[in-house]
Amino acid sequence: MSQSLRPYLQCVRSSLTAALAISNFASQTSERHNVPEIEAASSPELLLNPLTVSRNENEKVLIEPSVNSVRVSIRIKQADEIEHILVHKFTRFLTMRAESFFILRRKPVKGYDISFLITNFHTEAMLKHKLVDFILQFMEEVDKEISEMKLFLNARARFVAESFLTPFD
Amino acid sequence: MLLLDYENILIRSLLTERFSGAPPASIDQIVSDFDGVTFHLSTPESKTKILISINVKCFRELVQYGAQQVLEREYGPYIVAPEPGYDFSVVIDLESLPDDQEAKDDLIMRLALMKRNAMAAPFEKAFDEFAQLAEEASRYTSESAPQGVEEGGEVMTIHYREEEAIYIKASHDRVTVIFSTVFREETDRIFGKVFLQEFVDARRRVLTLQNAPQVLFRNDAPLELAGVPGLQDAGDGKISYITFVLFPRHLTPQRRYETISHIQTFRDYFHYHIKASKAYIHTRMRKRTADFLQVLNRARPENEERERKTASGRTFRVQG
Repeated sequence: MSQSLRPYLQCVRSSLTAALAISNFASQTSERHNVPEIEAASSPELLLNPLTVSRNENEKVLIEPSVNSVRVSIRIKQADEIEHILVHKFTRFLTMRAESFFILRRKPVKGYDISFLITNFHTEAMLKHKLVDFILQFMEEVDKEISEMKLFLNARARFVAESFLTPFD
Repeated sequence: MLLLDYENILIRSLLTERFSGAPPASIDQIVSDFDGVTFHLSTPESKTKILISINVKCFRELVQYGAQQVLEREYGPYIVAPEPGYDFSVVIDLESLPDDQEAKDDLIMRLALMKRNAMAAPFEKAFDEFAQLAEEASRYTSESAPQGVEEGGEVMTIHYREEEAIYIKASHDRVTVIFSTVFREETDRIFGKVFLQEFVDARRRVLTLQNAPQVLFRNDAPLELAGVPGLQDAGDGKISYITFVLFPRHLTPQRRYETISHIQTFRDYFHYHIKASKAYIHTRMRKRTADFLQVLNRARPENEERERKTASGRTFRVQG
């Protein structure tokens, strides 16, 4: 782990743990409804101040807490168009499986690559610190995965080009 | 299997079986090859006479560049009038095959290479033209050469696929082969760019490839093609032009057969590896997604208490 990654992840971890203090809260506008307030945004007193943790302009995390739900959006590093397309493909792959990921949002928040929505029901059914662990591990591994895929692609391209040109020699 | 074979495997295996002395059987088979080429193998008259027909999209262009002569040279005595719907046909009589095994294998191979031979015509023409121009140029110094020698021959165009073409141009010191290729998708375009960049760099990087043809690529039409009709230039980067510069050492009579076969496979090879990389990355993402799912499932608490039993099988009951 590089020197600047550690404090970044540490900061996300503590901010997220703090933000996950959520409780059951029924909708104030319609009876017998219980919706994530961060999505509904029906009244301003239920929303808390959103918080951005950024490592640099290309890598940041937006945490939007509310009384009964927290939305976490991650912007993954994309240095060039190869990484861009790989990130796009990968996040699409994940969001298409949002059903089995419970906390994954089908659509990322504008300006970010992937978003999670954690409600009080999730924190009740699952262990809160493990949820935080999951998001942190995701952030850590997604960068690694993207750069590995990029390296693979370059290595393969190199090998393919060399083997095509060798018979001419 | 990294490099593609030059011949059509299906035709080769089918003919090998027929030629091995198996009892004659009727055949009626349509075989596809790269670039929309189709073959038809059939036994219309009797079981011993195999008719092999080929349909190439750009056959008319190939004939213009001397395909008929090349095919006549390769298949001389076997040629018959083309089957309707196809461009070129040969008939092989199983009863009058060459006797020794080597000649048989050679014939099978030649038939399996029919597509390669049809497509080879413009290359052969360009190589001949190069030899002629080189000889002419050797009589002049570079300053006094007349226009024609310096500029080289005509650009030959082969529209071998819907939107893609091969352009071949002979000069006195090289033959330039330009492929135009279209990327349907954004991903293909980016992957293609990575691959092409490696093709360009390979020669510079690897010592043993110093003698390989020079490769260049760009998204607008190269200068060699200025004035060629029917050139698409969408300008959105979907079309790439890949230029191979073949030097005299690739064009010697000993090398030309191999060079022609090999360069023909470029497009299919290139696109095959783009698709293969995509498939690999796809599997990798699938696996990684499964891993993430596992991590998330760790957040679910273990199943609470299961029913506890004593050694004798009695259960506890929680008193309400």
